Amino acid sequence: MNKEAPLSIAERDFILNALREDVRLDGRAADQLRPLTVSFGEEYGHVKVQLGRTSLIVRISAEVTKPHDDRPFDGLFTIAMELTAMGSPAWDNGRQGDLETYVTNVLDRVVRHSNALDTESLCIVKGVSCWSIRADVHITDYDGNLIDAACAGIMAGLQHFRRQDAVVKEGQVIVYGLDERVPVALNITHKPLSVTFHTFDEGKKVIIDATRKEEQASEADVVIGLNNAGDVCFMSKFSGSPVDAMVFVDKTSVALEKVKEINAIIDKALQADLAKRAKSGMLEMSRAENDRELEQ
Amino acid sequence: MSSPLVLLPGDEIPSEYLPSTNSAPLRLGPGLRLLSQPPSSSAPSHVLTATQAGILSTDNKKNAVSILSAPNRRYIPTVNDLVIAQVHHSSPDYFHCMVTPQAPHVVLGQLAFEGATKKTRPMLKQGDLVYARVLSVGLGAGAEVELTCVNPATGKAEPGGLGHLTGGMVFDISNGMAARLMRASSSSADQQDGVAGLVVLDELGKKLEKVGGFEIAVGRNGKVWVDCSNGGDAAVKATVAIGRCLTTVDQHDLSPADQKKLVSRILREMKIEV
Repeated sequence: MNKEAPLSIAERDFILNALREDVRLDGRAADQLRPLTVSFGEEYGHVKVQLGRTSLIVRISAEVTKPHDDRPFDGLFTIAMELTAMGSPAWDNGRQGDLETYVTNVLDRVVRHSNALDTESLCIVKGVSCWSIRADVHITDYDGNLIDAACAGIMAGLQHFRRQDAVVKEGQVIVYGLDERVPVALNITHKPLSVTFHTFDEGKKVIIDATRKEEQASEADVVIGLNNAGDVCFMSKFSGSPVDAMVFVDKTSVALEKVKEINAIIDKALQADLAKRAKSGMLEMSRAENDRELEQ
Repeated sequence: MSSPLVLLPGDEIPSEYLPSTNSAPLRLGPGLRLLSQPPSSSAPSHVLTATQAGILSTDNKKNAVSILSAPNRRYIPTVNDLVIAQVHHSSPDYFHCMVTPQAPHVVLGQLAFEGATKKTRPMLKQGDLVYARVLSVGLGAGAEVELTCVNPATGKAEPGGLGHLTGGMVFDISNGMAARLMRASSSSADQQDGVAGLVVLDELGKKLEKVGGFEIAVGRNGKVWVDCSNGGDAAVKATVAIGRCLTTVDQHDLSPADQKKLVSRILREMKIEV
């Protein structure tokens, strides 16, 4: 059973009727996000995202590899996401469902194909070695809107991550440990995020950040990916019933507002984490001194 | 009784914790199982073991004993539980229903409704909801769970309200919350402060009287069905407000005073006049 349990008729009808009166199940407005919290773990590039009851963990990791033969100047960047039974009982381990293919594809387009991470900066020696950056997304709880939550998580992770410093000396690549040299932040060109809309009632009602039940009751979904400057880097209408072209035009401005809102939350979390790290670094040093005194 | 007794699956229940009145037979609630019963001549020394972790709760008046389940999400059917099931498909003899998503289907007899005969049985479609009682759970792996909407002895829908649920909305809550709601509704009259510190339903009932009141059905499988069809214009808002109150109380451990505040706040947010 790797299928989401279908909604009952009563739930489907009620969600639709309520939306006709502009009421959502959790009392939100049509273009209001659920509370979003972004927090960081001990290591660089370890992000926890909580969007309402959807929660996920993103880990960014880096290793030195050989670049592709046709792109000797480019590093590698991959996004790996697997929907496992940890996130929802409707998902099976090791079996790829439609949702997984869809979400992975959208994330790839929004983050990777829009060149959010400058892959050229990952090159160490032309055609010989480069950094390979990998973003692993683990879903720990699922209540709709995986795409936006995962997108925010990956972008936060990329901004938070610090890779080890690598230098080329006499044709040899030397990678310094995190404690030997100050680790290097990744080169982020822009900060694209996605905003997912769901349409109801023949496209007359459009909401953002749908919960699992709302997603199931919806007719179609529209994903718009754009950055803080308002450059649209992704737009999709993957399946479901037709959506009026005006929805895309209208909702792009709503999406821009939301992208700014999410980016502000990420920035704030990054600043707080940076401040905490600066402080704990100092504490660490003072503690070391005390240790030495004790030994004497 | 002294301090609450916390049991783990497999633990035996000490006999001093059992209700002492011996006139009526002891009723076992969810999470408990009778392992062996000594011959009636000897002293009453039932061997009861817990099948779930939780706090033991005894009711001397009803001579009942059960385990208070923690607010978990996995529902294990127990005989006599009231559940909200969703029809998945039907076969000549049975409706195959979902009680828990991603769990094997349970069966509900086509004729297990009040006053149902071959000609008058309800025609339930896929996705319809029924309020039913667990009739039997079977033993061992692969055993089918059977539901019923009538009391087989009387042929009536007992307790009232069993059967097809039309309209309304279903909200997901934890199993523990569902159990609390059930207990609160079964014996709320004699206690002023509500049972298990739950006053949210009483408060909602008072406040929503003007809107036309509401109907509610609590399923032990972690679902609550709410309907305010008398509410007219405010019906949808009132339903959403009730759902929000219940899920918020479930997620946050609120004291009775906080629950009252929550109800007022949500009703104000939803712009329902009380």
